[in-house]
Amino acid sequence: MRECVIEREEKGDMDILHLDGSLDAYSFPRLEGSLNGLRENSRNKVILDCTGLDYISSAALGALIGFARRARESNGDLKLVNLTPKIYNIVELLGFHKILEIYQEIDEAVNSF
Amino acid sequence: MGCCSFVFFSAFLIIALVIALYITVRRYRLLRAERDELEQEKEVIFGFIHDAGEVFANAEGLDMEGMLTRVLFYAMRTTRAGAGAVYLLESDKQTLRNGAVSGIFPPLIGKVDAGLERAMSKSQHIQKLVRSQVIRKGEGLIGEVADIGMPILIEDPERDPRVPHYDLDYLKIHSILLVPMRFHQQVLGVIVVINRVDGQPFIQTDLNLLQAVADQASVSIHFAQLRESLNEKQRIDHDLDIARNIQMSLLPKTIPKIEGIELAAFNYPALEVGGDYYDFVEVDEKRIGIALADVSGKGISGAIMMSMCRSVLRSQAPGVTSPAKVLNGVNHLMRKDIADDMFVSMLYMILNIETHELAIARAGHERPILVPGDKSGLHVIESPGLAIGIGDEEAFGMITKDTVITLHPGDVVVTYTDGVTEAMNENEQEWGIDNFTEAIRVSADEGAHSVLNNVQQRLMRFVGETPQYDDTTLLALRVVR
Repeated sequence: MRECVIEREEKGDMDILHLDGSLDAYSFPRLEGSLNGLRENSRNKVILDCTGLDYISSAALGALIGFARRARESNGDLKLVNLTPKIYNIVELLGFHKILEIYQEIDEAVNSF
Repeated sequence: MGCCSFVFFSAFLIIALVIALYITVRRYRLLRAERDELEQEKEVIFGFIHDAGEVFANAEGLDMEGMLTRVLFYAMRTTRAGAGAVYLLESDKQTLRNGAVSGIFPPLIGKVDAGLERAMSKSQHIQKLVRSQVIRKGEGLIGEVADIGMPILIEDPERDPRVPHYDLDYLKIHSILLVPMRFHQQVLGVIVVINRVDGQPFIQTDLNLLQAVADQASVSIHFAQLRESLNEKQRIDHDLDIARNIQMSLLPKTIPKIEGIELAAFNYPALEVGGDYYDFVEVDEKRIGIALADVSGKGISGAIMMSMCRSVLRSQAPGVTSPAKVLNGVNHLMRKDIADDMFVSMLYMILNIETHELAIARAGHERPILVPGDKSGLHVIESPGLAIGIGDEEAFGMITKDTVITLHPGDVVVTYTDGVTEAMNENEQEWGIDNFTEAIRVSADEGAHSVLNNVQQRLMRFVGETPQYDDTTLLALRVVR
């Protein structure tokens, strides 16, 4: 599996994280680190660009839900963009598509904040 | 005239004799001094050889601290040093931490102000300071030796800016010697000694001897470190054993026998304990509840979560005929105790053993697969739901709904956890849903046990020797024709 590369792009009070690779048990601590870093700097509006995401483990999804939940308490949120059918199926299976906002395009997600 | 020359000759002879005697005595004294020095060196070397043996002897019984204390003791004895310290490179390979200190050993890095210097007038204060200091690789003399892996001998520290200068007399460094401890080209740490007790500066011989001590010590330290990490691994293995025991104790010992229904289940625990579990509950005299769950956390926390899940389900299930309602109760009770970033996926089905009505609710779990007995083709049973621990009562209730179907003779229902479909072979390929459904399709006609056996065999053939990181759990039921 490809290790996940996370690239951060700042857009006003929002952060777009571009994910490329697999978020499994070994690489998800890196995403967790990035999210914790954002939280520490009170940056609570996060868009996850999943265009290059091949796989996501349940632990990684748990970290995303946890971040979204805490972000919402500070008027922020975590939104998902451009999920591949495979990733969408995992998200949908767990019912997370009813909890997290999912968009086709980054712009849509940006405008939704 | 003759008498005169005799007197001169005699005087000359006496002078020559006195000179010769003087030279002989002097040479004798020099030789004796040299011999003494050699004797002394021989003593040190014999002492060293003895000491080196001591460092090794019973080294297995020593912990790292005991080992370093012993190494330092022999290092100081060999070099006749007044004080010394041993530093070990941390596992990050970037920082050094003190492992042992003896005598008045002032800190070698950092500025020490007058107040601190006064406070340091008690030796335990200095020791405390030295022990707590973290030194980066390349920082100061110790960091330098760790970085370059070569010894440093400073005979005259007064003129060397790398050596700190203290005003208090007893903190002064008159001579300093540092050697690296190396094992297979890897620096493990640094031994430092200061101030020879005889007031003389350290010399090359001291350096050679101390390096020999360090080389011997490195072997012992390397194996002690290995032993420590092994102990850590054993501790983790022990934790995993506990978690595995909890997990195994939660699984049903037997599968209920129900007339007209064939039930089969297996759970294969993974290398690292996963959080799969299944259970059977008596709902009322004509209904049986069947649960299958996967906790997102692993190890002990996952196992504890599972045991909670099981107790909560068992408390909610009796008498309730809607599985969604039961899962809502489970979610409500567990949500407060589940960490923010953890969740449980759970499938709960209630089978009426008289009417063969099957009610299904799915809290984020894999959908069950139905293979109709009339060979009309295999399909997944849809039912909307949310994983446990994510939403409040309202959100969970809105998303999670019952699906009710009626089973006919020959119908097979297969439920599983993602460990089955996500099992990997050595090429990191997933077994996948298609292989799985194919294995079910070809064996469903022969019953629930046949499905289990066939899936198990095909899965084992696919993964081969590749260790699996997630549990695999499979449960099948068939209405007997």
